[in-house]
Amino acid sequence: MDQLLNVLVIGLLLGGVYGLVSVGLNLIFGTVRIVNFAQGELVMFGMYGGYYAYNILGLSPYLSVFIVAPAVGLLGVLIQRLVIQPLHNESNMQIFATFGLLMLFQNIMLAFTRGEARSVGGDFGAQVIEMGDIKIGTVRLLTFVITTAITIGLHFWLTRTMVGKSVRAVTQDKRAARTVGINVEKTFLMTFGIGSALAGLAGVMLTPIYSITPGVGGNFILAAFAVVVLGGLGSVWGAYLGGLIVGVVEALAGYYIDPALRHAIWFLIFLVVLIIRPAGLLGQVGAEEVGFREQN
Amino acid sequence: MSQALLQTRGASKHFMGLKAVDDVSLSVNKGEVVSIIGPNGAGKTTYFNLLTGQLAPTLGEVSLRGQTINALPPHERAKLGMGRTFQIVKPLIALSALENVMVGAFLQYARMADARDRAMAVLTRVGLGAHAKRRAGDLTLSERRRLEVARALALGPEIVLLDEVMAGLNQSETGRCIDLLRSLHEEDGLTFLIIEHNLKVVRAFSERVIVLDRGRLIAEGTAEDILSSPEVVKAYLGEGHQWTPS
Amino acid sequence: MNKTDRQSPPPQVAPEVSGLQSGGTALGRYLALMALAGAPLVFLAKDPYWLNIIAFTYLMGGLAASWNIIGGFGGQFSLGHGVFFGIGAYVTAIATSRYGLSPWLVMVPAAVLAALVAMLISWPTFRLRGPFFAIATMAFNEVAFVLANHFDSFTGGPRGIMIPFKAGFANMIFRERWQYAVLMFVFVALVVGITVWLRRSRLGYYLLAVREDEDSARASGINVLSVKLQGMALSAFLTAIGGTLFTMYLRFIDPPTLFTLQDVGVKFALLSLIGGVGTIAGPLLGAALIVPFENFLRAELADALPGMNLAILGLLMVLAALFMKRGVVGAFEDLLRKIKGKKGGQ
Repeated sequence: MDQLLNVLVIGLLLGGVYGLVSVGLNLIFGTVRIVNFAQGELVMFGMYGGYYAYNILGLSPYLSVFIVAPAVGLLGVLIQRLVIQPLHNESNMQIFATFGLLMLFQNIMLAFTRGEARSVGGDFGAQVIEMGDIKIGTVRLLTFVITTAITIGLHFWLTRTMVGKSVRAVTQDKRAARTVGINVEKTFLMTFGIGSALAGLAGVMLTPIYSITPGVGGNFILAAFAVVVLGGLGSVWGAYLGGLIVGVVEALAGYYIDPALRHAIWFLIFLVVLIIRPAGLLGQVGAEEVGFREQN
Repeated sequence: MSQALLQTRGASKHFMGLKAVDDVSLSVNKGEVVSIIGPNGAGKTTYFNLLTGQLAPTLGEVSLRGQTINALPPHERAKLGMGRTFQIVKPLIALSALENVMVGAFLQYARMADARDRAMAVLTRVGLGAHAKRRAGDLTLSERRRLEVARALALGPEIVLLDEVMAGLNQSETGRCIDLLRSLHEEDGLTFLIIEHNLKVVRAFSERVIVLDRGRLIAEGTAEDILSSPEVVKAYLGEGHQWTPS
Repeated sequence: MNKTDRQSPPPQVAPEVSGLQSGGTALGRYLALMALAGAPLVFLAKDPYWLNIIAFTYLMGGLAASWNIIGGFGGQFSLGHGVFFGIGAYVTAIATSRYGLSPWLVMVPAAVLAALVAMLISWPTFRLRGPFFAIATMAFNEVAFVLANHFDSFTGGPRGIMIPFKAGFANMIFRERWQYAVLMFVFVALVVGITVWLRRSRLGYYLLAVREDEDSARASGINVLSVKLQGMALSAFLTAIGGTLFTMYLRFIDPPTLFTLQDVGVKFALLSLIGGVGTIAGPLLGAALIVPFENFLRAELADALPGMNLAILGLLMVLAALFMKRGVVGAFEDLLRKIKGKKGGQ
C-alpha cells in the first residue's frame, strides 16, 4: 500500500513535468492549429541553454531561465514566420517542414556536442524531501509548483487580459476574429513565440534532473501529444489535468507491468481518446476540429 | 399517390445547443425542380449534408424512395442515385477533365474503356467535350462548375443536389448554365433540388421553392408566391425593405 | 461578347500529367525510365564502391515508390512504414537463420503479414486527419521498436539477428555485388511498374480522388475507408519485400537499424518529397539524388560532425516543403507547361 502511494506521488510529479512540457504545445495546437513536430527540440534547446548557462556563467537554472526562455521564444517566432506561415493551409507540407526542423535541430546539436551526454551538477537534483516513507524529489516538487503557477497564470492571461482574450477568439474562430479586427497573423506569431518560450522554460527547469542529449526531445514529444489530446486542445487546465493523468498512468504501468512500455502507453492514450472522445476532457475546440476536419 | 423520391420528416441537426436545422419536412417528387433559398447561415448546406449523409440527423428521418436511409453512408447514397455538387468546387486539379468524370463513371462501368466512353459522353452533354484532355486545374470557374455537374451526372443519378452551382458566374455564364440544367431536366428527366442565392435563377428554373431561415422552414410554395411574399423578404433583407421584383 | 467568355485555348495534346495516354505510350515511358535507371549499373559494374551505392539507391527507390502509393497517390502521410519494413526484415531473418528456409519462400508470406498488420492498425487511425494520422503512425513505429527490443527470444532483442554467409541463389546470398544490384533493380522496376499500372487503374483514380477531397470522393460513390485500406495494404506489402531484400543484403538487422525514424520510415517519405510526391518517377529520382549525396556526406562528415548528414537532410526537407512541394519532377512539369504555354501564343 505504501508502495502504491509512492508510485502515485511519482506519477503526479511526473505529471507535473509533462504538464510543463505540454503547456506550450497546447497553446500552439489550440491557436495556430498546427502539429509542431519540433516542439521537443525546443525543450531540448532549453535544456542545453540551462546547462551552458550553468557551466559557463555559473547561473542557476532558476535564474538563467529568464534569458534562455525568451531566446527560445524568439526562435519560435522565427519558425512561425519563416516556415509555418507560408504553409498555412497545407497540413501535409507542414508535417514535412516541422519534421525537417526536428531532424535539423537534433542533429546540429549532435554534431555540436559530439553526442556526449551532459548533465548539470548532481547534488541539487538529487535532493529529496521525506514525508514518512515517501520520498519527493525537491526539483520535481518545484517543477510541479511552477507548472501549477504557469497554468494559473496562463488562465488569467487568457481570460482577463485584452491580448489573452484575442488569442482565445482566434482559437475559437479564426474568421470571426478577423472580422472584429484582430490581426490573426500577429496573434499566431505571438502564440508560437510564447508556446516556444514555455517549451524552453520547461527545458531549463528540467536540467537538474534529466541527462541532456540531443535526442532528449524525442522523450517528451509523444507524451506531450498524448497529454494535449487527452486534456483537450486549447484548454489550459485540460493540459494540466492531462499531464497528471498521463504521469500517473505511466507510473502505475511502469511499476506493475513494464517500464519499457511507456511509448505504448502514450500511444494507447492518444488513440483511445481520439476515437472515443476527440474533444478530450476539457477541450475547447476539440481534436475533431484539428484532427478530423480542415480549418480554412 | 406515388411516393416521394426524396423526403425528410422532422429532420433536425443540433450542434451543442445550436439548432442548425430545426424540424424540416420536405418531399421532392420524381421529375420536380425544387429550390431552397434563405439568408446566409440559414442551414441550407447543413440540410443538404443531412440528405447526402455527410451528417447524421439529431432528430427525424431521411428517406429515399420510401426507404429510410438515416444510417446509410454518403457513398452508398450516391450508389442509390443521389448526385451532389459542392459549394466550393474541388476538382482533381492534376488530372484531366475526362479523368475527373471517370471517377464518377466507375460506379456503373467497371472497365476502363467503358468508363472513359461514358465520361466522354457526359462531358459532351455538359458542353465540355472539347476540353476533355485539359488539366482540370486550368479550367475557368464556369468550366469547373460544369465539370462538377458532370461528375455528379456520371453516376447516372435520379436526383441531383446542386449547392449554389451558379455562384461566381457572370450573366451569360449563368444563362448557359440554366439552359444546361433545363435540358437535363426536360430531356433526361432528372429531378433537381438546388440551393440558390440568385433569385433570377430560382424564378427561371424552379417549380417549387422552400425558404429556410435559422434552420426552420418558414415558407413553401411556387416560385411566384414565394418571391413576392413579404415574410420572405423580411427574412432575407431585414425589416423595412421593399422588395421590387424585377 | 463578355471578356470572361473569351475563347478557351485549344485543347492540349496529351498533357504529361494525364494517365490516359494509350497503353503503348505509358509502357514506352516506363521502359525508357528503367533503361535510364539501369544505365549506371551497366557502366559501373566493375566498381564495388559504386555498386553498393547503386544497389542502395535502387532499394531505397523501390521503398520510396512503395510509400508513394499511399503517401503520394493516396495523400495519407504515414511516418510508420518502418513497421512494415521491419516485419519483412524480421520474418525473413528468423526464417532463414533459425529454420533454414529460403528467403524466396518467405518473402511473400512476410509481405502478406505486413499487409494484414497494415490494415489492422490503419483501420482505426485512418479517421484521423493529416498531422494526427502522421503522429499515430509515428507512434506505431516507436511501439514496434519497443516490442522488437522486448521480445528478445523471438527477435534477438537489442543484439539483433545475424544471417551467416552461405552463397547461393536459393539463399538470396550472392558473392558478387553486381548480383545484389541487379536484384535491387528488379525490385524497383517491379514497384515502379506497379505504380504505372495503378495510376491507370480504378483503384489509382479512387486513391487520387480520396487525396484531393474525401467528401467529394464520397459523393462519387467511393468508399473512402476501403480505398485507403487497399492502398495501405499494397504499400505495406511492397515495403515488406524491400525489408526482405535489405535483410539478405546486410545479413544483419537490429531494432535501431530498422526502426530509427529518421533513417528509415521518414526517409521513404523524404525521398518521395524531393523527387516528387504522387508522381511515378519522383521516388526513384529522389533516391538517385539523395542516396549517393547522403553517402558522401556521411563519409566526409561522420567523424568531425556526427549526424550532420541528417541535419542537412532535415534542412532539405524544410526547403523542399517551402519551395519545391512537387519535387524535381513537379518543377520539371511546371517548366514544360510554361514552355508549351509560350508556344501556344496569345
